Amino acid sequence: MEIKKILPPILVLIIFLAIWSLGAKIYDMAFLLPGPLTVAEAFIKDFQLVIGGLWITFQEALYGYLLAITIGMTFAAIMSQSRILERSFYPYAILLQTLPAVAVAPLIVLWFGFDMQSVVIISLIISLFPIINNTLLGLKSTSITLVELFQMHNQSRFVNFFKLRLPAAIPNVIAGLRISAGLSVIGAIVGEFIIGSGSEGGGLGVMIIYAQADLETPLVIALILTATALGFAFFSIVSVLGHYLLHNWHESEIA
Amino acid sequence: MISVSGVSKLFDEIHALDLIDLDIATGEFITIVGPSGCGKSTLLRIIAGIATPTGGSIKKPDASKGAFVFQDAALLPWRNVQNNVELLMELESVDKAEREEKVRSALQQVGLEGFEKSYPHQLSGGMKMRLSLARSLVLRPDYLLMDEPLSSVDELTREVLQEEIHTLWNNDKFTSILVTHNVAEAVYLSNRVIVMSPRPGRITHIVDIPFKKRDRNLRSETAYTKLVNDISGKLRAWK
Repeated sequence: MEIKKILPPILVLIIFLAIWSLGAKIYDMAFLLPGPLTVAEAFIKDFQLVIGGLWITFQEALYGYLLAITIGMTFAAIMSQSRILERSFYPYAILLQTLPAVAVAPLIVLWFGFDMQSVVIISLIISLFPIINNTLLGLKSTSITLVELFQMHNQSRFVNFFKLRLPAAIPNVIAGLRISAGLSVIGAIVGEFIIGSGSEGGGLGVMIIYAQADLETPLVIALILTATALGFAFFSIVSVLGHYLLHNWHESEIA
Repeated sequence: MISVSGVSKLFDEIHALDLIDLDIATGEFITIVGPSGCGKSTLLRIIAGIATPTGGSIKKPDASKGAFVFQDAALLPWRNVQNNVELLMELESVDKAEREEKVRSALQQVGLEGFEKSYPHQLSGGMKMRLSLARSLVLRPDYLLMDEPLSSVDELTREVLQEEIHTLWNNDKFTSILVTHNVAEAVYLSNRVIVMSPRPGRITHIVDIPFKKRDRNLRSETAYTKLVNDISGKLRAWK
């Protein structure tokens, strides 16, 4: 059973690596398109460096993500409590999504300086909207019958929120958290690109810029893959959490 | 006694209920039947206090406690059977020890012992409805309002559940108001059957049901079938 589950994606990976190797061999310009083995070598050679960068990017993305979760869920909870609040604030939440975060990043750096703080804020801005949007959708989708049932036996908004609306919204909250997991890492990399040259010993994004300038393409690819793995790890942790919270009752997780 | 006096309900242009007057004695079981859209569910919701009438008023005894059984059982899918039965007591701040005690006896009463840790999605339609009944009855309500509770279970389960509802009511004598499409069910369970007309909903007939003993044999008695046919005839008149 387990093997049957893991086998198909592994097969795809092997095929992908084979095509990549072949392509690199035919193209035969290692400094532009290194094969997977060359990338692996670069990764091992600069392992210490890559892990150092990963650690920094991890922290930036994690703080950005946690802030986005806290702010996003609080904001959604407040909007869910009143039509007027929702109508007043939701349009601006949408602007957060349409805002070209990459273009705003330089401004953030001007305001908050060439350091980690700015990167965290950029990561926060990029990962915030899906959390607000999905949480709000979940909090507003409570079955009317259940709302009436609660209304008959307890009038407290607090009870209604924590015993009914919030648990009912968890599938949506998890959906939002999953989208934002990858976005928080993307945000951290974007932030690092902007502060790039101005910082010492930065994270993966900073290293990508330096490695690119040195035409160290294998290292660039190794760094990209490391950043991808980081986003994937965030995603997986949220998925495990989602499974833990939903496996007893929600269609999406019932085996 | 629950008194419904002059209750009307308008939804925008739709006149759903028109001057309903009805007194329900304490401990009485009444059933409201009527064609779809006659406002019988709306009336029940107004009595429950989850809908407001456009005119008229409802009088219930001071400090009387009610419970509502919804058509779709209205369980919390993320709570197991035990925690679903506890829900309303939790909302009414019954303390933990008392809750657990009551849950045990309530589950026994509706034949769900052994399913404490199951989740609603693992239960059949009939079991969900039993759970929903247990959840309401643990509150020891003075009155129980039921909105087509058996409309989504199969015929056989339906009859079994009718018998169970009758037993529960016969033991505790909570005032009961049932809304249903099923005339046989109405006759089987009630002291009185209230027949309503199509929109705007008005009470057109009140039929007393005289049977003392309600068991499976009742269903094949001539007097029973005659009453069912009489009331069905009244309903058919509008088709």
